[in-house]
Amino acid sequence: MTEQAVSNDDRDASITDPILEVRNATVKFGMDRGESRVLDDVSIDIERNEILGVVGESGSGKSMFASAFLDAIVDPGTLSGEISYYPDSGGEVDVLGLTKSELNQFRWEEIAMVFQGAMSSFNPVRKINTHFVETLTAHGDTVSEGMERARTILSDLYMDPERVLRSYPHELSGGMKQRVLIALSLVLEPEVLVMDEPTAALDLLMQRSIISLIEDIKEKYDLTIVFITHDLPLVVDLADRIGVLYAFEFIEIGPANELLEEAAHPYTRALLKSTPNLTAPVDEMRPIEGSAPDPVNEISGCSYHSRCPMADQRCEVEDPGPYIVDTDHDVHCHYWEEASEAVPMPNDGSGTETGSPDSDQPISVQTPETRPRWAGENPVLSLDDVEVHFEATQDEGLLNLFTDPETVRAVDGISFDIYENDVVVLVGESGCGKTTLGKAAVGLERPTAGRVEYRGQDVWEAKETGGDIPFEDIRQSLQIVHQDPGNALNSYRKVFSSLEEPLVRWYDDLDGNDRRQRILSMLKHVGMSPPEDYIERYPHQLSGGEQQRVALIRAMLMNPDVILADEPVSALDVSLRVEMMDLMLELQDMFDTSYLFISHDLANARYITEKTDGLIGVVYLGKLVEIGTPERIINDPQHPYTRALCWATPELLTETDRTDDSPMRKIDIPDPTDPPSGCRYHTRCPEARDVCREVEPEMVDSGTDETHQRAACFRAQENHEYWTSESIVED
Amino acid sequence: MDWRVRRIGQALFTVWGVITISFLLVRLMPGNPMSAMIVELEEQGISPTQARYLVELRLNIDPEEPIPIAYVNYVGSMIQGDLGHSMYYDRPVVEVLATALPWTLFVLSWAAFISFFLGITLGALMAYWEGGRLDLGLTGYATVMGSVPFYVLAILLLVFLGYRYGIFPTGGRQPTGVEPGFNWTYIRGVIHHAALPVISMLVVSGAASLSMRGNSIRVLGEDYLRVARLRGLPDSTIAIQYVARNAILPMYTGLMISIGSMFGGSIILEEVFAYRGVGYYMMSAVNQRDYPLMLGAFTIITIAVVIALLIADLTYSKIDPRAGGGKSEGL
Amino acid sequence: MKDSRGPTDGDGQPKAADGDGQPKAADGGSVNSPFETISDIEETRRDRYRKRYENYVYAPFSIIWDDWRARIGLAIIALYVFVGTVGVFLVEPTTNLDGSAFIQPFETWEHPFGTDRMGRDLFADTIHSTRPILIMMASGGLFTVTVGTVFGTIAGYKGGITDTVLSSITDVFINIPGLPLVIVLAVMFEPRNPVLVGILLSIAAWAGLARAIRSQVLTMRRESFTEAARAMDVSTSRIIRKDILPRLMPYIVINMMNATRNIIFSAVGLYFLGVLPFEDQNWGITLYLAYDAGAHYRPGALHWLLIPMIAIIGISVGLILLGQSLDRVFNPRVRARHRNGEAEAEGSEDVEADNTGMMKQV
Ligand code: SF4
Ligand code: SF4
Repeated sequence: MTEQAVSNDDRDASITDPILEVRNATVKFGMDRGESRVLDDVSIDIERNEILGVVGESGSGKSMFASAFLDAIVDPGTLSGEISYYPDSGGEVDVLGLTKSELNQFRWEEIAMVFQGAMSSFNPVRKINTHFVETLTAHGDTVSEGMERARTILSDLYMDPERVLRSYPHELSGGMKQRVLIALSLVLEPEVLVMDEPTAALDLLMQRSIISLIEDIKEKYDLTIVFITHDLPLVVDLADRIGVLYAFEFIEIGPANELLEEAAHPYTRALLKSTPNLTAPVDEMRPIEGSAPDPVNEISGCSYHSRCPMADQRCEVEDPGPYIVDTDHDVHCHYWEEASEAVPMPNDGSGTETGSPDSDQPISVQTPETRPRWAGENPVLSLDDVEVHFEATQDEGLLNLFTDPETVRAVDGISFDIYENDVVVLVGESGCGKTTLGKAAVGLERPTAGRVEYRGQDVWEAKETGGDIPFEDIRQSLQIVHQDPGNALNSYRKVFSSLEEPLVRWYDDLDGNDRRQRILSMLKHVGMSPPEDYIERYPHQLSGGEQQRVALIRAMLMNPDVILADEPVSALDVSLRVEMMDLMLELQDMFDTSYLFISHDLANARYITEKTDGLIGVVYLGKLVEIGTPERIINDPQHPYTRALCWATPELLTETDRTDDSPMRKIDIPDPTDPPSGCRYHTRCPEARDVCREVEPEMVDSGTDETHQRAACFRAQENHEYWTSESIVED
Repeated sequence: MDWRVRRIGQALFTVWGVITISFLLVRLMPGNPMSAMIVELEEQGISPTQARYLVELRLNIDPEEPIPIAYVNYVGSMIQGDLGHSMYYDRPVVEVLATALPWTLFVLSWAAFISFFLGITLGALMAYWEGGRLDLGLTGYATVMGSVPFYVLAILLLVFLGYRYGIFPTGGRQPTGVEPGFNWTYIRGVIHHAALPVISMLVVSGAASLSMRGNSIRVLGEDYLRVARLRGLPDSTIAIQYVARNAILPMYTGLMISIGSMFGGSIILEEVFAYRGVGYYMMSAVNQRDYPLMLGAFTIITIAVVIALLIADLTYSKIDPRAGGGKSEGL
Repeated sequence: MKDSRGPTDGDGQPKAADGDGQPKAADGGSVNSPFETISDIEETRRDRYRKRYENYVYAPFSIIWDDWRARIGLAIIALYVFVGTVGVFLVEPTTNLDGSAFIQPFETWEHPFGTDRMGRDLFADTIHSTRPILIMMASGGLFTVTVGTVFGTIAGYKGGITDTVLSSITDVFINIPGLPLVIVLAVMFEPRNPVLVGILLSIAAWAGLARAIRSQVLTMRRESFTEAARAMDVSTSRIIRKDILPRLMPYIVINMMNATRNIIFSAVGLYFLGVLPFEDQNWGITLYLAYDAGAHYRPGALHWLLIPMIAIIGISVGLILLGQSLDRVFNPRVRARHRNGEAEAEGSEDVEADNTGMMKQV
């Protein structure tokens, strides 16, 4: 806390050398329903060479805030206020007063921006190279010099510049596009980089890798970075300061670690508590009740008062001005001093030292009750050496009539069991085959080899030739809840019509009124009231969380034994995830189902499995590489890839508390049509040795019976040839 | 298999299909033209052998041959470019049509070129000033024009610009009394004669402009356009390389398909304007019940359209890097 | 709600009825889980009909009625249908020498549209032409849409060898230029029945629709909502009817309107060229007779040409306007807005976007 030395009452005392000053920035949209303010009188200073994290849930005005710096609010919106920019070379630029041509120069040369939609930020018909060249020419830069710069930046971002420049946008993976976009924003050497959810669409591993790249890049290119995200844990160890946006204004700004340990605003505290992570006890995680206010309704007083547990009369009328917590820590809450009691945090009361657990100690994970896992019971669903291979047609311009289509080995020999009331979570990067595996498990994807058995009956055999259990019953017992709730419901059908479908199919004896009654009571049960109103709605009239509930009810109405839940919460705002997962667990109790979860997020996986004594399985390139209880997987991962996933999971820990070296040698996942030989992870594994290249490791038990931990890595086996083999990691 | 090979195979398959259809129509249908022709010839007192020879010459089908062999021979002569012998003009069909085809292509390519160009430009402008006066006016115009059959427009043009005011000739394809050749009077005359047919075909640009407008509005809302603006790219680059290119792509095959329908339309237009192209001969064959010529014209038109569509599909992957042929249908 | 029902094995849920179809009246409060709730009021047939009426009749009509284009379009088409059904009984068919030759329109009320060279009354002619033309349009439009939708949906949803076969047929028909094929077939078959004429004219028109629908169905088949339906073991035909077709409807409707418009264009065009054999009176024949008699240069005969033209243009304006607004009926956003009774100001951006790539003429 070196800043504490500065003792001045001026609220901007901590900012000694501002590069940007925003004063009373307001964005208004005229809409049919009235004028809406989507940025409400925001003032903030940004220190030269700092990383400012801006955290806000969807609809908090954070994208407007990002666009404001470049005076780039999209059309019907109007921006008022003042934004001053102080370049390194001295002087002052009034951003909102620039003429069109000045603005054209100012943007990208001084302040550049990285959008969240990297997928669609490139012109699909032009090569990456052209994007760089046209940017350089538009700003009158020498192309050859500029391209040299571009190449350097691209290789700083761990990409092969020549290959990338030659490609068309659609030929690059999401993570690569995102990095190319960062390179493109840096090619004119701007001083400020505004990043609006630059990693939202990416896997955790890629997110984490990009975050650490951003740190390096910032040092190397002397940048000031404004990093905007909905994901608080993601920025805490990156940012110097964090501002929290709620309902279109900052409600708290302060140094990252202070905000983390001594958040003063009830909303910030609630947000911290609602975020699934790997360290805090799962029972402490709580959703935030209620929803954020509508931009059209002007709220008097504190914008959080409808959801705040401490709200009183004063909050409803009096706008809480900034209160100074510390020289560089402001909060907009009348009663901030009492917030720590009203919204207690697990690490409250203890000093800054104990607030961050010692990383050597096993962290506060509860040990599950030791009981042999369903000893003697028969599994509901059992996968035995399941393979799913797709054929991908490959046409690369040649008239090659005779090449065989390439095979994508989406799932390549995976076995595991699911018991009654069981939960198994599969984690892994996108493209690792976890979704395909899940679909194969519930009989929606036909395995090309291996068996999927439901209570001992081969599912596909039952379908084709009939078996002891009729296929109809199997079909009814295995259900799915999709990742994107908006797409899982037919947008042309009302909620009622979608929910009626399983009842019409399976319960002939119910008439229209019975169906209606049952659906109404289900909706009510999951908190969608009044249900009479909800059943008449179309999916687009529901929020993401509500859509997901409807999809969940629809699966439950089938009364299934196993539900495949494919990333059921990843489309939701962070603060809603815990609530959704709790609801799913409650319904599990009520309906006696088992879940097969799919997630790319270890924190969610931990939350679910720890509450249910489930198992986490780690999938990499079509292989199950490790499986075990959350306690084992998180505290004592045996497989280096599991370790990488743990590293990638954002934590509510400050910078000093964690290691920043990536435990992987390569950022990008190898091409699944041509997986590496031997251990598939050997191209990225920091521990890889010669033998890993040739021999494929078997799954071996590495824990006790209670922990069910098994891993497919030679390092889990003592006395293996591995230990005498040459390392293949070059530095 | 490479999708290009597949695509070419599909084109050949279509041509084969059309040839087969015409064989079936001529040879097998009850009351088919071949038998009718034989009866007619015999009524004229021509000996059966002679009649048989004449039928074989005109239709490429020997009535005595068993059907499968006749079919093989028919396809064989078609492939060799022998489309039979026109009864009315008493010349090989190929000869008749060979002189006509360039004129049809001349009119069509002008009409296609102008209508695409107009459609794209107007559509882009409409999108740029979305909701403005030009936009509203042209949208209204395009809607109204969509309900006017092009031949109605052609007749009206002929009545007013041809007969009433005499601005354009009312028929023919080249000026009379001018030596054909590369001289200005002749070229001007040719353009003058082609003007009305071309103008009548431009109705299609109404539809083209509407879809261009829709596409451009969509592209204008894309993220990459916003990024391009922020990158400070000049307006001309944005307009052409970003908006226009991406807006035209989805229309490209549509435009090529409309060449097919314009080809069909040219039959009616050439009849109205007495413009002696392929369509004109096809109509005269219809009126004279000159089956070889009619089927020949039909085959020629089909082949031309198939080639146009083939070119469209094959070149599409050149202008849209994402189109890898079958790739999108792979998984 | 923690009291669970114990292990479930596929039929653990309470059966509401026991064979006689009478639902048991459970008192709403005492069931264990909301899952077991049933209604204590029996649904009557009347309820069901009322729901159907609301969904399929009342809602669509009131949505259409909100749009001025639809109102005009509907009015125009209703007028033509009225003329084609009732009108023919009100107006006597005309004969040669009904009046004197070339009476101008609106010259006398006896012949409001004037007469032709033979003194036939053009008003009566126009009225009696409407019926066969409407029949052609309806039969051709239905043929196009039915064949196109069936081919496209089956090819897209079934995939595999079915898809290959259907798609190859479709591709051939897409490549063959429509009008020349129709001319050849018309010459060979000389169809006289208006229904046959309509079908003949659309012999190649369905292919474009089939291909477009196939690719949409192909995408939809991979989407989560159809996968969820498959997981519920909903039958393929029900998935197609309930999940896929409604989403295709806007597209189908627009194509239906375009197809009928193209039918009338080519029908009249072919009668005008004299390719189709003359049967009943219709506008194309009038046009042919007028043109043949040189009405396009003969003074005082222009109305002979203009009247059938105006009749054609009138009905296609009606079709276009109706087509532009009909897809709103299926758009859930419009439906939802409509239910909430919110006034909506903006036009139909969506409609125009949907029109993309459907620029087929003749
Ligand atoms: S001002 Fe009042 S309502 Fe707002 S956060 Fe503070 S205590 Fe809660
Ligand atoms: S087997 Fe080798 S390459 Fe694979 S994870 Fe273990 S150490 Fe790494």
